[in-house]
Amino acid sequence: MTLRIEDLPKEELFGQGNGGCKACGAAIAGRQAMKVLGERTIITIPASCMATLGGNNQKTAWKIPFYHTLFEMAPAVSSGIRAALEIQGVNDVNVVSWGGDAGSADIGFQALTGAAERNEHMIHVCYDNEMYMNTGGQQSSQTPLYALTSNDHIGKPVKKKNMLAIMEAHGLDYVASASIAYPFDLMEKFQNALANPGFSYIHILAPCYRGWQIPGEKTIEFARLAVESGLWELFEVKKGVRTRTHEPSLIPVADYLLPQGRFKNISKKAVEEIQTSITKYYGRGDK
Amino acid sequence: MAKNLPIVPTAKPGSMAETPAGSTWREKRPVLMNCTCLEVTLYCPDGALSIVEGKVSLDLNLCKGCGICANECKDGGIQMVPEYTGAQGVFPVKGEE
Repeated sequence: MTLRIEDLPKEELFGQGNGGCKACGAAIAGRQAMKVLGERTIITIPASCMATLGGNNQKTAWKIPFYHTLFEMAPAVSSGIRAALEIQGVNDVNVVSWGGDAGSADIGFQALTGAAERNEHMIHVCYDNEMYMNTGGQQSSQTPLYALTSNDHIGKPVKKKNMLAIMEAHGLDYVASASIAYPFDLMEKFQNALANPGFSYIHILAPCYRGWQIPGEKTIEFARLAVESGLWELFEVKKGVRTRTHEPSLIPVADYLLPQGRFKNISKKAVEEIQTSITKYYGRGDK
Repeated sequence: MAKNLPIVPTAKPGSMAETPAGSTWREKRPVLMNCTCLEVTLYCPDGALSIVEGKVSLDLNLCKGCGICANECKDGGIQMVPEYTGAQGVFPVKGEE
């Protein structure tokens, strides 16, 4: 199933006139995903940037049913929507919950792990900007080691929680990581998730230029550097079989880390340590 | 047993595109020179770039001027120019400084 740009639907189901900042990585992720999900989709979004940029009052940027849920319960609401559809005999609707890193990995985790355990027929998407951007850029469990956030002046002292490994451990049939800089890879993963009759989890790295303190026009460039430096691995786990979908060129991690304002306090030694661990990880031939 | 649900205010699908606020924030706007890379439309956060008859087309009403397209276009076919130029403007034009 190789996608071509000519085959993609022209219709914009999300994004036009959205209320996000310029150069919003989350909006890019939403647009790319909606090209595959199509109009027969119901989406639930907990409190996050994605919820606020999707509409307010009597206006919405979505052309599909969009429910703004409470913070900790998007996958639970989606489970209910799927149950209601099943009881009515509607089988051609995709049910998606779409949370940020807080709505998936931190506050939203209990609903997510519950829905994953029950193997509900739905897709959960975590769009990861590595901090709580909607409330001003506080530290999340997805913030990488040494990154500065607005409630911290020395950099995060602990590592990023490996959400993909946690979701893999639920024994799901489809778990994948994606990046907005590789749109066709991302869209193929959504196609695979749609083909899975159970719970699928997709984790998208979607940079936020304000939080990462990079120029807005380089949002996609840094998403690409994260993959090419090896710090964000693109892979999918289909029925327990792990495949790396993009082989990175392994550029020096310093090229990715040092231009970002959030890593301005990082020491030379720390960069070397990260480089050593990345080289070791990709050199061990786990593919 | 279908029950009529009460009528609640609901937003019209895609109604934010009718009054996009983002275009008023724009400091620079993209100008399509001869952009041939269609992938660039997938990197636009606002759906301002689309493919019309096999070519990239731009809707300035939706564009927030982020500059991602100019940065990602491989052959330099999109360039950012200052939104306000000339005697009334705040950004000087190159050569007229």
